[in-house]
Amino acid sequence: MILAHLDLDAFFAAVEELEQPELRSKPLVVGGDPHGRGVVATANYEARKFGIHSAMAAAEALRRCPHAVFVRPRHTLYREYSQAVWTAVREVVPTVERTGLDEGYLDIGEVAADFARARVVAEAVQAAVRGATSLSCSLGVASSKVVAKIASDRRKPGGLTVVPAGREAEFLAPFDVRRLPGVGPRAEERLSRSGVETIGALAALPDGELRRLLPGKLGPLLRDRARGIDPRPLETTSETISISTEETFDRDIADVEQLKAEVRRMAERVAERLGKGSQTARTVTTKVRYPDFSIRSRSTTLPVATDDSGRIAELACALLDRALTDRPGALRLVGVGVSGLEDHRQLALLG
Amino acid sequence: MLDAETVVGSGTMKVTCSREELTQKLAVVSRGVSTRTAVQILGGILLSAEGGRLMLAATDMELSLRASLEARVEGQGSVVVPGRLLVELARLLPDTEVSIEQRADEGVIHIRSGSFESRLNTYTAEDFPRLPDAEGLERHGVDRDALLETIARVGRSASRDESRPVLTGILVRFEPGKLVMAATDSYRLSVKETALEGTVPELEAIVPARALVELARIGQGAEQIELGVHENQVVFGVDGIWLTTRRIDGQFPNYKQLIPESFEYEVPLPRDEVLDVVRRIAVMAQRNSPLRLRFAEGELTVSARTQDVGEAQESLPVSFAGEALEIGFNAEFLRDGIDSVVGETIRFRLISPLRPCVLQAEGSEDFLYLIMPIRLAG
Repeated sequence: MILAHLDLDAFFAAVEELEQPELRSKPLVVGGDPHGRGVVATANYEARKFGIHSAMAAAEALRRCPHAVFVRPRHTLYREYSQAVWTAVREVVPTVERTGLDEGYLDIGEVAADFARARVVAEAVQAAVRGATSLSCSLGVASSKVVAKIASDRRKPGGLTVVPAGREAEFLAPFDVRRLPGVGPRAEERLSRSGVETIGALAALPDGELRRLLPGKLGPLLRDRARGIDPRPLETTSETISISTEETFDRDIADVEQLKAEVRRMAERVAERLGKGSQTARTVTTKVRYPDFSIRSRSTTLPVATDDSGRIAELACALLDRALTDRPGALRLVGVGVSGLEDHRQLALLG
Repeated sequence: MLDAETVVGSGTMKVTCSREELTQKLAVVSRGVSTRTAVQILGGILLSAEGGRLMLAATDMELSLRASLEARVEGQGSVVVPGRLLVELARLLPDTEVSIEQRADEGVIHIRSGSFESRLNTYTAEDFPRLPDAEGLERHGVDRDALLETIARVGRSASRDESRPVLTGILVRFEPGKLVMAATDSYRLSVKETALEGTVPELEAIVPARALVELARIGQGAEQIELGVHENQVVFGVDGIWLTTRRIDGQFPNYKQLIPESFEYEVPLPRDEVLDVVRRIAVMAQRNSPLRLRFAEGELTVSARTQDVGEAQESLPVSFAGEALEIGFNAEFLRDGIDSVVGETIRFRLISPLRPCVLQAEGSEDFLYLIMPIRLAG
């Protein structure tokens, strides 16, 4: 298996630079309101020099770089660019698994017999993307997803890193263990407490020690990955299994009626997306986040799937009531989601 | 017989009764005990001792159950006892007799049986909801078999979804010479008409399905069931047990309008055989996957497929002519439907894959089960 991980460089910011060339030489932050609770979605490389990175509070970014330009994300625009990128990629490598607007895996093995040829194909992909959109991307080529993913991040922006078969473990060894996909904050903490700081150290853990640090199936899975072993194939028809939307408020909201209005609006959006995919859903979930950041979610499952926005809204509001009965208080965020999606539709006698 | 108000607040209540009879009656009444913990007293059973009887009552505000048993009453009174505890205790008592005593102004009752003694905390009877008078009501005898069969045939179609209360009920209507019941959860509809002899009460009400299912349980051994109608409630009497249920407000769907007048296909099938096939295939209809029925020249094929689980199919001969028709159904709804049709031959009455299908016994019009299809993807 030879595959590549493709990652567009500072995608949202790069699109904004293309749309507004005068921003190009300035530190640019795409994200939420720096005077409210916004978060950085993407920062351009100029802004990154100030230590600004994604997921940082926008207010913090402003503090680090008061002259940075802040723009709100324009998702529709990014989707159009993303579409163009992937169309261009598919002309070089037909089989791809998109994992986001700005990243995905490419089945390079389909068009290249060995790693030398794979490098040429990867360069052709970069050229095609640049030609179609003027965007730059970085690629990692390897024998598995986990290695390709880490490799694509190796020489950003515009980088290409090829890890030939047999060299995976050696390549991964020096990286921080947290860079390994699947290592969450908790696993990282447990590992680092025992002095396991690098992927190489994780790869070398004996069975007993591994079981002690990461009980269950996670340990062997992560150690395999640390050794470059990752049997996950490309998922070219990634099915939608749930649809959700949520909103973080600028200010905490305590008024239940106002919260319900938000919930209804979100239910409408969720129903619309169900409708677009001609799907129905059996489970409705309402998620709430309190000012102390703790999260609660409440779900209910219907005997018969629905795509009716009114029904979803009604259930989501009832779930909000339930969550607020269990723990009253102002909320920082609410979200509405549906799962248990079905392609079939149970017809009803009554509207 | 049971009028809580007259006995509330008297001095010492003392009553002795048979353990077995108490256990039996408690088993019936305790089904009215509320399972919700929000209102504590609804988790209790009201005990009232008066005139040589011990009366038991429980209610969850929708449904209430009352029963009484013979007892030696040495002091009248009433008290509310935690339901589940009392039921469990009564069943395990060592002697054939039980005595229950509450001394004036004590918040506990003393239960004795043989050398067993216990003190049980209680609630005050004044806080227990007042239950509607059952005995003073004008009552009609209704044929037990007719009533219970009618409930059994339509009950499953009632909705369990509390967001549309009307659909959680069964429409009960007495007409001259017959009893009609209908229930729908909007995906299926059951309608049963049962002939009745003699005079019938004047009643058209939406009655909670769970109350009628409970009635069917209690009424198993009885001969006659009595029925009384209140403005907001309906009362059923079964051998000294009284079941009172709230009537559901609202307009029941005009179900007659929902039943198609004519059909494209009438397919007779051996009922037991098709039920077996559907049951088998339904095993592979996991996670709400539809059951597919493909009617083709001379053959019906039932199939189901669940992604990542598996699939199954089975055919049976059928007298069907014309272009093949494939229709999808929720497996449980179809199984319920076939199961509720009584007769050797069942008719599948069809129009198209997106129109209602009606199941009826051959040569009989007194029951129908209408089922809405699932629109199949792809």
